[in-house]
Amino acid sequence: MLSRRDFMLSCGGAGCALAAGVSGAGVVLVPRPALAKTPPRAFPARFWKKLPQNRIECGLCPKHCKVEDRERGFCGVRENRGGDYVTLVWGQPCAVHVDPIEKKPLFHFLPGSHAFSIATAGCNLECKCCQNWDISQSKPEDVDFRFMPPDEVVRQAKANQACVTFTYSEPIVFLEYCIDTAVAARKAGVHTTMVTGGSGEAEPMQEVLKYLDAVKVDLKGFTEDYYQRMCKGKLAPVLKTIELIRHSGVWLELVHLCVPGQNDSPAEIQGMCRWVKTNLGADVPVHFTRFHPEFQMKNVAPTPNATLVRCREIGMAEGLQYVYTGNVPGLDGENTSCPKCHKVVVARRGFALEEVHISGGRCAFCGSVIPGLWS
Amino acid sequence: MSWDANSRDRRRFLQALGGAALAITGCSSSCGSARKAARGSEATSVVGQEQPAPVPSGPVVVGKPRVVVVRTKKALTHGYDADRGALRAMVEAGLVALSGQKNAAAALSRYFRPGEQVGLKINGLAGRHAATHVELVDELSVLLAKSDIDGHHQIVFDRFASDLKASGFSAPSRGNGYRCVGNDEVGHEEDLVQMPSSASRLSRVLTTQVDGVLNLPVLKQHMLSGMTGALKNNFGCIHNPNKMHLDGCDPYIAEVNAVPAIRQKQRLVIMDALRPVVDNGPSYQPGMGEVANALLFATDLVAVDTVGLDILAQLRRKRGLPALADVGLAPTYLATASKLGLGVSELAQIDVITLEV
Repeated sequence: MLSRRDFMLSCGGAGCALAAGVSGAGVVLVPRPALAKTPPRAFPARFWKKLPQNRIECGLCPKHCKVEDRERGFCGVRENRGGDYVTLVWGQPCAVHVDPIEKKPLFHFLPGSHAFSIATAGCNLECKCCQNWDISQSKPEDVDFRFMPPDEVVRQAKANQACVTFTYSEPIVFLEYCIDTAVAARKAGVHTTMVTGGSGEAEPMQEVLKYLDAVKVDLKGFTEDYYQRMCKGKLAPVLKTIELIRHSGVWLELVHLCVPGQNDSPAEIQGMCRWVKTNLGADVPVHFTRFHPEFQMKNVAPTPNATLVRCREIGMAEGLQYVYTGNVPGLDGENTSCPKCHKVVVARRGFALEEVHISGGRCAFCGSVIPGLWS
Repeated sequence: MSWDANSRDRRRFLQALGGAALAITGCSSSCGSARKAARGSEATSVVGQEQPAPVPSGPVVVGKPRVVVVRTKKALTHGYDADRGALRAMVEAGLVALSGQKNAAAALSRYFRPGEQVGLKINGLAGRHAATHVELVDELSVLLAKSDIDGHHQIVFDRFASDLKASGFSAPSRGNGYRCVGNDEVGHEEDLVQMPSSASRLSRVLTTQVDGVLNLPVLKQHMLSGMTGALKNNFGCIHNPNKMHLDGCDPYIAEVNAVPAIRQKQRLVIMDALRPVVDNGPSYQPGMGEVANALLFATDLVAVDTVGLDILAQLRRKRGLPALADVGLAPTYLATASKLGLGVSELAQIDVITLEV
């Protein structure tokens, strides 16, 4: 990766080279998907309002992009066409895969089941450590996609005995597709889940929550500075969304990707866990997961196991009942223990389910309620 | 190639500086071969020279950068169409004053060599009514041909083919035979260019088809960045300008322009200020164009934008519009660009020459 220091050095060198017209560049090579063969189709977008002179204000997320005619918002997938707003990703996923539900991770939602996972191009954030940057930071025309309307998604999910999951990039930017698919899934008796950064406005989130069964939110940090510096986003709207989900009754789990030196200080973790307990409750599962060098953070080492263990200990010390570690198979912290009798009720290793001792939503040993959807 | 931050050592540091030093010592009048030799190495750093050199810093231009403002009484004929005769006189005067050469063709030869592919980066976002005038490009095409750069070596490009078409660049090949190419037709590099605040893929037109860029921005107010000019015009060289409009586009505009593969190809700027958009830009809004009948010539992108901003401020005052700073739209990215060593953002430090033709 080209660091800030290298970048500045190359600027200086480039400046000198410019004086004499000599070329040379420092770039980082990262592969990306092949170009799409056909242009994306446009469908009417929702959650926006007209402004004077054919401008549009998008109401999907807190960025409230004011979009000029023939321009797109920050996410790159919604376009102003003569004063009408269209989405270029409805029914056009660029990633389709069947995953274990534990990969999302959703630990309290139908353990051992499968998630028919779909994603389109685009994101309303730009996280420097994004694991899926090749699709999240691309425009629809820059990725391979297929046309898969909601009914087809549901049909394939059913065929795979899986729930539908909107994931990988940012479902909020393809929310119309999510809503229509979730409606179709509910009609067909298929569960629907979402993996999101949570940076959405209340109205569209309330709309989609009507049809979702579980949501996992990436709470990427607990400071505005982190969100602005690392994600080009804001923390406050994410916290609002998380509260909205919690109070909607849809099952909620949180993930905090621990990026070394950026968002893993004990004080920040403690503050976050206190906020979760106070505003959401002690029974909301929180996952502390391992960072892997990606995108613009290839020069940062993976999260040490000790950091994940420490974060989990802080969470438990703050009174959270279900605190997990993730992305490190075998590390203590993958199992679900009953908060009353402390026996392991769900044993896991990585994405694999090893034992389940829950019956009727209760601990098989002491009968305590274990929150979640278990069957 | 991949630059791993962890692997940058003293040797590579000295190599990079040595390359820069060599570039400095190679005088501009004899750099054709150097440019050619470097053309095939866009994705490589400057390596191979061992001698250490002083750390390069600050603007490259020694002394005050020059910006030539050429005005005329009437450059526009019917609303938006431009008079090629008037433009010819303006370009002639501007290039001569900027370069010190005897005529425009000789001046262009100073910036572009025969055999090179010249990329004419227009701003076609707003369509015909507020885009780089096609008549100006046609006139420059003729002049380039006189400099032994025929139409086959001229490429007009912008983000989208549809923008080119809407701006009057209606045929894939027009005028002297120059080609009109949208980035969406050619695509972007698979390689990711890392910047401190973001990351982008570069237009393949820029990286594979063009040796030097003739930057042809339009002077416009911009509701997100304050103004758009030469620096922001290079957003048309990346795949994701939509990710770069936060915080008044600061520091994104500056950082994009500091990307070596973009910066090193900037040879000349001719800013179209015939009819700047003074408010509600950058798209075309009826009534927001103010006839200024001016073209700006420079090699310093920051300086030409700074002078352009001054002209924009005057036009806004004339209309009774508030200063950009008073509406939270001061283009702070100019100062950031200056700090990155891209040019001069202090008006007092710029040699502004105003000509009437």
